[in-house]
Amino acid sequence: MCKTFFVTLRCNIKCKIMSEIELLFVDSGDRCTLYTIQFLSDEQNEFEKFISKFRNDAELNPDFQAIMRFVEQIMDNGALERYFRREGKMNDSVVALPILKSRLRLYCLRLTDKILVIGNGDVKKSRTYEEDNTLQGYVMDLQKFERLLKQEARTGNVEITERQIITDKTFEI
Amino acid sequence: MRTANIPLREIFNEIPKEKREETRLSFEISNKLDSLMKERGINRKQLAEAIGKRPNEVTRWLSGEHNFTISTIAMLSAFFGKPIITV
Repeated sequence: MCKTFFVTLRCNIKCKIMSEIELLFVDSGDRCTLYTIQFLSDEQNEFEKFISKFRNDAELNPDFQAIMRFVEQIMDNGALERYFRREGKMNDSVVALPILKSRLRLYCLRLTDKILVIGNGDVKKSRTYEEDNTLQGYVMDLQKFERLLKQEARTGNVEITERQIITDKTFEI
Repeated sequence: MRTANIPLREIFNEIPKEKREETRLSFEISNKLDSLMKERGINRKQLAEAIGKRPNEVTRWLSGEHNFTISTIAMLSAFFGKPIITV
């Protein structure tokens, strides 16, 4: 009985730490293809979660709509570096919208000038994302996903072209 | 690959038209400024120094999110000797 308890406990801990992620296509414009990620254990994908939180929030809707206006323009103009706030670390591709003052942050992976993986975001209450566990979690999810994606690209399981990501894989993070 | 169930176009259409147009124009102006800088062979710091502004102000202009005043547009047009926008 004791052994069964510890096996179950270990499995529960592992299940919480290891999650499976799927890459989903969102939409594409003249110069950029948008993707998002979905944890297989969740009902909504990460971009959808951000939209659900703020689309009908009377107070934060102007900030949400401003971010969505930038997403619309990025689809037509490309995911150029100068349109984003640099977040994450030097060796990753995590960026955030918007650059200018806003109560919200939306975190993304800018993989090329034409590929953007949109993650989750939230209200920015602290000076840096590292001081907020929720925001840091969103950034870390994208950092981990990028590492796995690039690892799979190196082994030939994923193809990343200038404009698209070709894969049907799920990623364990 | 599966497609995410996100009604993106519907969400864009909920945004007031004038706000979407404002952002479109801001992106166009920032793109024009970027191409004039490349043509002249100058970076943000060099442009900022040449016109007496801080580099972070040029970063804002290039972000596609800046609400340009006529005075800024006129100053940039005069510096590059070319129109930033045409009316």
